[in-house]
Amino acid sequence: MSTDQITAKRVSTDNTSANNISTNHTKTKHISVKRYLPDSSTETFWQEYDLPVDDSTSLLDALNHIKEQLDSTLSYRWSCRMAICGSCGVMVNGIPKLGCKTFLRDYEGDIRIEPLAHFPVQRDLVVDMAIFLEHLAAVKPYLIDDNPVKPYDPNAPETYRQTPEQLERYKQFANCINCGLCYSACPQFGLNQEFLGPAALTLAHRYNLDSRDSGKKERMAELNRHDGVWSCTFVGFCSKVCPKNVDPAAAVNQGKVEAAKHTLIALFKG
Amino acid sequence: MDKSSSQRLPPLKRNWWLKHRFFKLYMLREATVLPLVFFTLCLLAGMVALLQGAESWQGWIAFMGSPIVLLLNLLALAASLYHAATFFVLFPRVMPIRIAGHSLPDQVIVAGQWAGVVVVALLFFWLLGRG
Ligand code: SF4
Ligand code: FES
Repeated sequence: MSTDQITAKRVSTDNTSANNISTNHTKTKHISVKRYLPDSSTETFWQEYDLPVDDSTSLLDALNHIKEQLDSTLSYRWSCRMAICGSCGVMVNGIPKLGCKTFLRDYEGDIRIEPLAHFPVQRDLVVDMAIFLEHLAAVKPYLIDDNPVKPYDPNAPETYRQTPEQLERYKQFANCINCGLCYSACPQFGLNQEFLGPAALTLAHRYNLDSRDSGKKERMAELNRHDGVWSCTFVGFCSKVCPKNVDPAAAVNQGKVEAAKHTLIALFKG
Repeated sequence: MDKSSSQRLPPLKRNWWLKHRFFKLYMLREATVLPLVFFTLCLLAGMVALLQGAESWQGWIAFMGSPIVLLLNLLALAASLYHAATFFVLFPRVMPIRIAGHSLPDQVIVAGQWAGVVVVALLFFWLLGRG
């Protein structure tokens, strides 16, 4: 592209310009947000907002617009606005979504925003994720190496080595950003909050598959029980909603195979 | 772990699965077991009839030929094929097959499973043709 064209694009303000590849058609869209303001009432209510949107407006942009221009009392979480921090999850028309990865151009008609399902609501779109964090911590999601090849020597620290093939085995499951969307998608977690749930079981599997880890036995105590992998009935919605293509349903069900093997081996060992 | 450390919500209501198309399809997948139970009961009745003698065996054959039973068993066939289709797609995700460090593509595993179904069906028809 020549410099002239770039300048032409920069200065062009009308959308009809042939050079202008941006699709800046500003429209007004209507969204409904489920509000909960515990200081003034214990009842939730729906509030309607009209906002200007163009093809690049994400739901998070829309919420920011509401907060900055229309109604500063609205509460919601966000940080990175690029699908990395995992804090902007909400329900959009009943489906768990990241606000920053959801674009209003994809919605015609109703847009209903609610806090993430299956979590206690603290205020507006802000939920209490404590139980999710507890379930994550329960599976010991870190490298456990009780029996290192060599004792640690601070003068000559050795790094762990791993081949690309070994990395490949768990890499997909390591992409989780702890957004919790899969918990809002999981009816089994909705039915029983003690169920460790998709992300925690995936994280456990991720470490079990890691060549540098030897903590599988310890994690099995958590995984191989009713509230572990065995509560999963492979509904599979968790994998559909996951914004990072982690496929938690696959990890949980691979975990079932591992748990079954573990039980069998324990049986034979007596 | 301290179970009382965080707040727990009450369980979902029984009709939770009516909320989405996705959950309804899941329930349909699970419900395929119902016509299959009927088919299994039919087979069981057939065994009992066989033990009881020629007369009840003829009765069972007549029962199996009646339109409503045929219809229900066709439904069972359709249900089991639907269940197989959903299961075959899930299988490679649960049991990824790795050969020489590389995982086999999902489609190959799905195709392999359907090939298995065809082989078993052909074997069955061949046996039937001989008998
Ligand atoms: S598995 Fe996916 S949906 Fe679940 S917490 Fe991780 S990134 Fe979010
Ligand atoms: S704001 Fe960080 S994931 Fe959306």
